[in-house]
Amino acid sequence: MNISDIMTTTICTITSDKSVSYAAERMNESHVDSLVVMDHGEVLGMVTTRDVLSAHPNRIVADAMSSQPFYLSANHNVWEAYHALHQEQNGLALVKQEDQLIGFITKEIVEMKIAEYRDPLSGLYRAPYIQFIGENFLKERKPFHLLFIDLNDFGRINKLHGHPFGDDVIRTYSSVLSSLAEEQGDYLCRYAGDEFVLISTISDEQIQEYITLITRPTNVLDVFVSAAVGHVNGYNTPDFFARSWRELIAEASLGSSAAKLSKSLSSTVG
Amino acid sequence: MASDNNVYSRKATLSLKISEFEVPPMQDLLIIGRKAPIGPEAVRRMADALSPEQFTLLKMNHPKIEAVLLRNTLLQMIDEKLLMKIILEEAERMISDSMVLRSELKIALSVQREVDLL
Repeated sequence: MNISDIMTTTICTITSDKSVSYAAERMNESHVDSLVVMDHGEVLGMVTTRDVLSAHPNRIVADAMSSQPFYLSANHNVWEAYHALHQEQNGLALVKQEDQLIGFITKEIVEMKIAEYRDPLSGLYRAPYIQFIGENFLKERKPFHLLFIDLNDFGRINKLHGHPFGDDVIRTYSSVLSSLAEEQGDYLCRYAGDEFVLISTISDEQIQEYITLITRPTNVLDVFVSAAVGHVNGYNTPDFFARSWRELIAEASLGSSAAKLSKSLSSTVG
Repeated sequence: MASDNNVYSRKATLSLKISEFEVPPMQDLLIIGRKAPIGPEAVRRMADALSPEQFTLLKMNHPKIEAVLLRNTLLQMIDEKLLMKIILEEAERMISDSMVLRSELKIALSVQREVDLL
C-alpha cells in the first residue's frame, strides 16, 4: 500500500510572517493539527500544534516552525514511510508527486495502518511486511537468506490438546523466534497458520546453526515442537536477483514441504 | 438639592511627546531569549528591513539564549568567538529565557608605544 492511499490531501497553508497566535486560530478553524508554511509558492516547513504550544504567541511562524521540511514520495509504501518517520523528529512528512505537493502524512496515521498488518495472536507482522522487506532487498540487490519455517505436526497438537492450547504454542513459539530474530537483526513474520518466514543477512555458517536450532525439537509449554525449514540462500544462488519475491517464497515453502516429506528436518534449496 | 440647570461636560486631555526615532532602534546588539516574544527570524527580518546588511544573526546553543544579533562592524573589529564569549558571560547573569536584551557595545582601542629616539 502506498502512502498516497492514506495521506491527508487537504493542505492548509500559512505564510511565515504570520503570528503564532494566528496560526493557532487557523488550525482551530480548519480542524487541523498542522499547517504548511509557504512563502511565494515555496514550502519552508510545517508548523504543528506542538510548535504553537511551545512558542510565544507573538512570535512569527518562521520562528516557531520546524525548519527542514521532510518529504516522502507518493510512491513510498507504508513500510518505507514507517521506517522514515521513525527517524524524523516531528513524525510528519510532506508528500510529493513529481515535485508537486499533494498531501502530508503523520507517524500516527502510518502506525495505524501498520497495526492492521500485525498478527494479533503472535504480535508478529503478517506476510505483507516480509514481502516489503524482501522486495526491497531484491531491488537494492542485497543478498539474503530466506527461511520458510513450518511447524511439524501442529495439527496433531491442536487435536490432542485443543485449539486454545495450539494458540498458546504459536504465541510462545513466535516469541522464541522473535527474540532470536531480534538478536541477529533479522526480519520475521507469521506467514500463515503455523508458518513463519524469516529474512536474515548472517553468514552461511551462522544460518546453518540457526536452522539446526529451529529444526531441533524444543519444549514449548511441555510439548515438543519442531519445524521443517525451507532455505533459499541468496548468497550462492546464481540467478537470485532475476527471481521475483513470489518465486523465492514458492521455492522456500516447497523446500520446507520437501523437508517434511523426507523426514529431514532441514533442506537447502538453490 | 440638585438644580436642573447643572452643566454636564466630558473632556479629554492629550499629552504628546515627540522625539527622534533612532534608526536602527536596537543599537549594537540584541540578545534573544529562547521563549522571548520575538524570535531570531523576526529580529533578522526587522534588522534587514531597517538597516540592510548591517547586522548578523548568530544562533546560540545555550539553555536561555536562542540568538544574538550583532552589528557587523563589531565583528570586523574583534574576533567573533572572543566577542561572543564576553557577551554571553555578561548577559547570562541577567537574562531570562523570555527576555530580549539590547545593548550598546563600543570598542575603544588604547595604544601606547615606546620608540627609540634617533
